[in-house]
Amino acid sequence: MWLPVFGLIIGLVLGYLTDIRIPPDYTNYLSIAVLAALDTLFGGMRAHLQGTFEDKVFITGFFFNILLAGGLSFLGVQLGIDLYLAAIFAFGVRLFNNIAVIRRLVMDKWTNARKNQ
Amino acid sequence: MKDRRIALSLVACTLGFMLAIQFQTTNHPKKQDKRDIWQLRSALEEEKKKQMELNKEVEKNEELLNDYQSRTKEYKLLAMKEALKDLKTEAGLTKKSGQGILIRIEPFNEELSGKIDPAMFPALLERLVNELNRYEAKDISINGERIISRSSIRLVNGKTYVNNEPISTFPIIIRVIAKDPKKLKSQIIASQSAEDFVRENLNITSKPVKHLTLPPYSKPIRVNYMKQVKEG
Repeated sequence: MWLPVFGLIIGLVLGYLTDIRIPPDYTNYLSIAVLAALDTLFGGMRAHLQGTFEDKVFITGFFFNILLAGGLSFLGVQLGIDLYLAAIFAFGVRLFNNIAVIRRLVMDKWTNARKNQ
Repeated sequence: MKDRRIALSLVACTLGFMLAIQFQTTNHPKKQDKRDIWQLRSALEEEKKKQMELNKEVEKNEELLNDYQSRTKEYKLLAMKEALKDLKTEAGLTKKSGQGILIRIEPFNEELSGKIDPAMFPALLERLVNELNRYEAKDISINGERIISRSSIRLVNGKTYVNNEPISTFPIIIRVIAKDPKKLKSQIIASQSAEDFVRENLNITSKPVKHLTLPPYSKPIRVNYMKQVKEG
């Protein structure tokens, strides 16, 4: 279970060490991509806890969500509508749902473990 | 199980990478230095000048400190009084005389300019004072009102007030003390504000004068944001 955390730390360190900065116009896209990645990650954790995890779904979901969110915000920029808000809303709601489910599952596990003791 | 872990870690790694880039971008946006070598040189020159000025200031203050420390009590008082006098002169609270220029502002001949009523807008005067200061004028007075750092030039009921005194009658006489009156005069002739005065039907003339006397600033100076600190 510690491997993902390790991966996150490695990613952060890599990001800081490479000193890459993107133009300010594109920060919107990056923030949406970050949100999509967070959503996928928490979705994956939830599926893992519920025992319904599938590698293919997870990986494809990750890339597809990022692409969809980016494409949607790009379309929004072209049309003059803040369509990226739709992506932020969808991901935000899902993030909350997933975290709530994870919390419940973890609490259940914990109480079960205490009862069994 | 193993694949799952690897997939999760890879996604976490990507997330971390993106987060780091996002943080860096939002915290320190990239600024490009687009100056060429000449602009850089002049910037360097300016900084050097600033440094020299600061050094001079430090030296001056250190000298003053030495002065205070080395003298006996009576002399200390004397030195302090002298410093106070210097500060008062610098603040514009004393009479001051020296060489400078005399600027005269009056309406153009009415027959030539038509019947347009010339008016003195504060913005005009403000710009003139700013430009005089830029051209290294030392002290300025407008119709006998000394301009100091706290002076105001504003419009009240359609009249221009300097230091809360109305400036309404033409001609308006501006006395300026400067190191190099001739240079200042030519600079004023070519300045933006001279053009602006002409646009408002006002004629601006200036002549160098060997000896000028400026009155002191007569109003009390209110100190709003400074307090006396008690010793100890």
